[in-house]
Amino acid sequence: MTTLEPLATVLLFSALASLTAVLGAVPQALRGTPSHAMIGWANALASGLMLGVAYTLLTEGLQNVLAAGGVGALLGIGFVRGTHSLTGTGELDLAELDKAGPEYGYKAILVDTLHAAHEGVAIGVAMAVSLPLGIAMALTLAIHNIPEAMVLNTLLTERGLRLPQSAALATAVNLNQVLLAVLSFAVIGLWPVLLPWVTGFTVGALVYLTLVELLPESYRQTGKTSIAVVTLVAMGVVVLLAGVAG
Amino acid sequence: MSGVWLVFLYALLTAIATGLGALPFAFVRTISGRFVAYAHAVAAGLMLGASFGLVSEGTDYGRGETLVGGLLGVVFILATQRFLGAQDEEKLVFEATRGEGARKMLLILIVMTVHSFSEGIAVGVSFGGGMTLAAVITIAIAIHNIPEGVAITAVLKPEGVSLPRCAAWSIFSSLPQPLMAVPAFLFVETFRAALPYGLGFAAGAMVFMVLVELLPEAYHQGKRAQVATLAAASAIGMVLFQQWL
Repeated sequence: MTTLEPLATVLLFSALASLTAVLGAVPQALRGTPSHAMIGWANALASGLMLGVAYTLLTEGLQNVLAAGGVGALLGIGFVRGTHSLTGTGELDLAELDKAGPEYGYKAILVDTLHAAHEGVAIGVAMAVSLPLGIAMALTLAIHNIPEAMVLNTLLTERGLRLPQSAALATAVNLNQVLLAVLSFAVIGLWPVLLPWVTGFTVGALVYLTLVELLPESYRQTGKTSIAVVTLVAMGVVVLLAGVAG
Repeated sequence: MSGVWLVFLYALLTAIATGLGALPFAFVRTISGRFVAYAHAVAAGLMLGASFGLVSEGTDYGRGETLVGGLLGVVFILATQRFLGAQDEEKLVFEATRGEGARKMLLILIVMTVHSFSEGIAVGVSFGGGMTLAAVITIAIAIHNIPEGVAITAVLKPEGVSLPRCAAWSIFSSLPQPLMAVPAFLFVETFRAALPYGLGFAAGAMVFMVLVELLPEAYHQGKRAQVATLAAASAIGMVLFQQWL
């Protein structure tokens, strides 16, 4: 690891994080179209991992820079809200299996692309805080992207796409993660004073995304008790592991 | 005044501060479905943020212990839910409300009251380190308790509970703080060992309550973007606020 340039490390791990989305096709390839409950739990798993990531960034990255972090968080929430309403994806339900029309597929892909971009920034920020934290973040998001891709695959194959096509698409929407991870890491490297602002921004964006997309969708798919258990366990594991890494 | 009485008095003051959380609701005249949703979103955010703080404190004492405590907290809520769910709808009455509403109010009060036991221990243990910082710690915890009163009132008020009673129940939920602070102060070493389990327990119970009751209720009646904005901002605000204190 030490022989790698820092930027190359960010590149490598963010690439890993985005490419694991391919694995999202595995359950469907093996067992056929997932049930509603499976989709719900996949979203809940993704939610828990995301909240764990937010916890880690909040407690590791914003210890003495609360004002900048708070303003950054509000900007992050506002930014995601703004992009959703501009692109007309505000109240989009990503697991609407019965709704037809190409517009819905386009929006689903768009909303997942926007979502992935913020995860890229999260990797860049965590790498800037410390290398172990950055790697923990990339690995967590690598896992997070699997259930997320599984949901998108279900949605796209229900509309007639073949699984290899949808798996490629579900992976492609994550690729901007690499660009944004490297970019945000480089920008923070040039202007370290930006770190608390970007950290706050990312936390705001990730918590908002979890609450506006992942959790409400999972509640629609299956019982709230199982959703709560899956989310909480995923969150607990990340909190535990990130503490060890940070 | 001896140290024990001071600890009790300080912890009692922090408990009473919880009642201040009802005050913002004095300005609410009509209660619509939207209002209920957004009150639940704020309560969810505040409780999520508060549990982040509890976990962060608990892991300082012991990582695995906090996790075990958290799992026990979840089991506790599941058991309480099952117990309340098994009660006869007609017989389950709280503050003149029956059935589902009564169940939810009881659940949040149980969660918040139980979580105060751990907070009381945390207060006692931190006083055990010396009384020089006592006034600062007291003010910090008193202020920290106010959002908890907000969370409780946000659930009780929409069910028709009057404001003074919301304040009273908020204070009630914090009463274990002075009760636990004293023994924890006297037997610091013993209680320090139990602290990470207690903090984890409180955090697990609170996050589970958020995920299983408050957020679904908020999504049910409110717009997703509004719910997410309010809950995210309250959660992050709460974490930063606690770190600032």
